[in-house]
Amino acid sequence: MITVNNLCKSFGKLEILKNVSCKVKKGEVVAVIGPSGSGKSTFLRCINLLEKPTGGDILINGIKINEKGVDINKVRQSMGMVFQNFNLFPHLSVIENITIGPTKVKKVSKEDAIIQTEELLNRVGLLNKKDAYPSQLSGGQKQRIAIARALAMKPDIMLFDEPTSALDPEMVKEVLNVIKGLVDEGMTMIIVTHEMGFAREIADRIFFMDDGIIVEEASPKDLFENPKSERTKAFLSKVL
Amino acid sequence: MDGLKFEILKPYIPLILEGVKNTLLLGILGVSLGVLLGFVAALMKRSKITVFRVIASVYIELTRGTPLMIQLFLIFYGIPQLTGVNIPKLLAAVAALGFNSGAYVAEIIRAGIEAVDKGQTEAAYSLGMNNSMTMRYIVIQQAIKNILPALVNEFITLIKESSVVSVIGLTELTRTSDMIRSVTYRPFEILLVVALIYFTMTFVLSKFMKRVERRLKRSDNC
Repeated sequence: MITVNNLCKSFGKLEILKNVSCKVKKGEVVAVIGPSGSGKSTFLRCINLLEKPTGGDILINGIKINEKGVDINKVRQSMGMVFQNFNLFPHLSVIENITIGPTKVKKVSKEDAIIQTEELLNRVGLLNKKDAYPSQLSGGQKQRIAIARALAMKPDIMLFDEPTSALDPEMVKEVLNVIKGLVDEGMTMIIVTHEMGFAREIADRIFFMDDGIIVEEASPKDLFENPKSERTKAFLSKVL
Repeated sequence: MDGLKFEILKPYIPLILEGVKNTLLLGILGVSLGVLLGFVAALMKRSKITVFRVIASVYIELTRGTPLMIQLFLIFYGIPQLTGVNIPKLLAAVAALGFNSGAYVAEIIRAGIEAVDKGQTEAAYSLGMNNSMTMRYIVIQQAIKNILPALVNEFITLIKESSVVSVIGLTELTRTSDMIRSVTYRPFEILLVVALIYFTMTFVLSKFMKRVERRLKRSDNC
């Protein structure tokens, strides 16, 4: 479903990604772990072109998306993105945050969008907050709304960029539970995370990134119990 | 020595009112034109097309770097010399004020847009919104909160600066005070009155701005 070939990204002279290649199958859940500054987030942001790759190809369902003439907006509609800092729209209520995508981009009628939104809010357990504004929500609630907002576009792929890093510890679980729900539904996902236990529990495969490359990719069991690379071992010994 | 005699101004009340009317007209039309020009210039300055950016920068820098009075003279005396077409005083005055103000407004709007968190744009893009949707539904909506107070300030400045256009003989407030002074030979009364009128206009505006700011703060949902 997602094929990345020799992806490179530099900011000026600084090389962030160095020839990253990988494949993610439909329905697969991939967790990306690694130290800060290893390029995890940049890798994720390249996949929906929030960062423009400086080299290599990204293919979604066989279509090369980082090419001139490709409608980026169309590509992005099929990929939901959840940010570390939520990035909810502060001037819109919860329900407006979620309906704005479907109504403005997909031209779904307002009535249909609201029905769908209420289902989504129910699913993330926040239907009672539908008329609240983001400033009135806790971090965990904000992130659950952000997930609902991304899901409202009915994406084929969900990308999570450290979804729990900005949360107070007691709110991490409520967000992870929502993500787990998506895993059970068979959503294709790439999750950049520092939650090792969570990565191990839900991921089909784990990518360990360091210094702009995928150092090691393996099943959670193999990666955590039997890391092959020295760098992986060193990293895991620090975080586990 | 003799005390203040405000009663001598009584016959000139209609003239003063005419001046007030024209000053307000200049302020409103000048700011409207300024906002329009400023908005276009701000968007041009953020454009991906180099020519647009250059045009906007040249306009902003030149306008901010030259006196309003010279700009006014260029429009009022310069254009007729070039084209042979005389420009009505009010039109020339509004054009000069609007043109001048536009450069400042452009910077206000640009700063207001840039103050909106980049994550907002990214979130909008990630939902598949194109540039114009992102601007319209997400960025501008939030930028207004940053822009509005500064814009009212600009309006206040413009009302005060509009006194400059008295030099081309438009009967706005400052010009009427000149006229009254030269027939009554009593400058103090009329100047006091005119100053008070300017102050009232700007004071009301700044009070209004404070209220708007408070309202915006209350709906601040960040």
